[in-house]
Amino acid sequence: MAESVWRIPTFIFFFLILSGSLFAGTARGQKEEPAAAQQVQSQPAPAEQAPQKLALTKTVMCEKVENLTPVRQAAVFPVSVGQVYCYTSFDTIPQPTMIYHRWYHRDELSTQTRLRLYPPKWATYSVVQLRETDKGPWRVEISDQTGHVLGVLRFSIGD
Amino acid sequence: MSFLSTIRWQDLVDITINSYILFRLYVLFQGTNAFRVLVGITSLWLLQEVAASIGLILTSWAIRGISAAAAIIIVVVFRNEIRAALQVRNLKTFLWGSPTQEGAAPVDIITESVYQMGKKRIGALLIFPGKEDLGEYIHGGILWNGTVSQEMLLSIFWPNNPVHDGAIIIKDGHVVEVGVLLPLSQRMDLPSFYGTRHRAAAGLAERSDALVIVVSEERGRVSVAKGNTIKPVAQPEELNQHLKKHLNLSDGVPAQQRRREKIKFAVAAVLSLFVITGIWFGFTRSQDTIVTLNVPIEYMNRPLNFDILETSLDEARLQLFGSSAIIRSLRAGQVQVRVDLSKAVEGRNVFPITQENIPLPPGVFLNKVQPTTIEVTLDTPITKDLTVQADWVGRLPENLTLVKVTSSPETIKVIGGSKILEKTNTIYTAPIRLDSFAKTGSLATTVVLSPPSLKLASGSSEKVTINYYLEERENTARK
Repeated sequence: MAESVWRIPTFIFFFLILSGSLFAGTARGQKEEPAAAQQVQSQPAPAEQAPQKLALTKTVMCEKVENLTPVRQAAVFPVSVGQVYCYTSFDTIPQPTMIYHRWYHRDELSTQTRLRLYPPKWATYSVVQLRETDKGPWRVEISDQTGHVLGVLRFSIGD
Repeated sequence: MSFLSTIRWQDLVDITINSYILFRLYVLFQGTNAFRVLVGITSLWLLQEVAASIGLILTSWAIRGISAAAAIIIVVVFRNEIRAALQVRNLKTFLWGSPTQEGAAPVDIITESVYQMGKKRIGALLIFPGKEDLGEYIHGGILWNGTVSQEMLLSIFWPNNPVHDGAIIIKDGHVVEVGVLLPLSQRMDLPSFYGTRHRAAAGLAERSDALVIVVSEERGRVSVAKGNTIKPVAQPEELNQHLKKHLNLSDGVPAQQRRREKIKFAVAAVLSLFVITGIWFGFTRSQDTIVTLNVPIEYMNRPLNFDILETSLDEARLQLFGSSAIIRSLRAGQVQVRVDLSKAVEGRNVFPITQENIPLPPGVFLNKVQPTTIEVTLDTPITKDLTVQADWVGRLPENLTLVKVTSSPETIKVIGGSKILEKTNTIYTAPIRLDSFAKTGSLATTVVLSPPSLKLASGSSEKVTINYYLEERENTARK
């Protein structure tokens, strides 16, 4: 469902809701389009300000994302939860851009997801389906399209 | 004659050294019983080889057993002779000395004394040991150790002297022992007028290589016993010659005999050379045995600024051939494959494995090597900070969630190949079990260097503290 609201004179609220379940079961190792995205809140027109830098405001690992809100954040997940989400939200997005979520299992790249961001704020996430062989330490690198690492999340998959 | 071109200078040195050793053994042991037994054992060995080659199974087996036992027996029985031959005064004598006996007895004094005693009808028995040990034939001797002089010899055999009936042993110009009792000869062909003294002289002479001078008490006649002969010596000059010959005093040996001795040694030297050359050819040129070995690869001259990151193999398979004796004696570590990395560059290098890489013991030859090339990847060592991450295992209690983890220190400095560290960002702790966690806390553990080629930089410790934060789990059932 999508909903948009205009408020005069300065703020624009634009909500875009897509179902995260659309991307469940995606094959590992492939580049993907955004798993889910949401413009969370608009800011004043960027043209009137100095060039802004993409800012990662929140990044968490969680068992579920409901209504674009991370649910049951943790640093260790049992493999039985079935899937793990990497939730990221950004601020001051000057122009539509892309970011990458690169998932590493024991320092070996397991999969990466390409996600789109839209000004002025955006929240998005990627998800990995868990298998028995996925137990162990993981990290997710969030990087921009130039490869600059914006943040790293570390977690583990236990029994 | 093409095989001559394959002979190396080392082979010539090899043959020369061993020929000389054989020749010296002959020189040192010639004339002794030990030498005769050695010759006998060698003959037995040759006989066994012949028997084996023509298929006489039982004969070769039996001779082999006898030879093996005899080799042990000879060392035990002839230990004194062996010791006497090897215990020379200095290395020069051992390696190069002439076979003349060390230290000559004052022959003229002895000769004169002997005939003096003969004139005075004083019975006497004088022993001049050869190379063999007399210990097992004689007994009852009394240590004397007096320098030989005419007066002393006369006084020893003076009829009222308590030891006058025994024999004396003269060695190196000294009367070593007096009152020595000798074994009597059991020969039946000795003249009937020979008394106990003559039978004792013959008894020792026939059992050993000693020379024995006997002076008859009744007739005053001087006789010499050597080997199986005992004969009267009428003239002092003749006795002098006997003694000098026995004691290997060169000026006492006739020129003809000296020439004969020289020819004998020359023949022995040539024979030693032939024998050793034959054995050498038998060892090194009969290339009848092939063996396949897995040999470790040794990397040499690695440039100091590189580390070996990866090699395509750790050992090569070599097919070697040579004589069965040498191949059988090959031991682990004798054969290696050496790869020279001095010209290696960063990244992947391919080196051929050829004869030049494989130094082989003499007499061992390379037939085949697998694989024929080896790949070696070199890398530059660098230092990098790796983030510490806990390696959680097991399962938390159902009601708890681990929400946050920190480590102290957060990073650890390690040293390793740049190619390895390029892909490595994390250093993991040893596995930490979650099962018993009940509340927030911390624990001390160690990090695990993986791959093992990584090393901790100086000042870095493998010990880390992991702080973990637990919360009550939201009341939602797990999947």
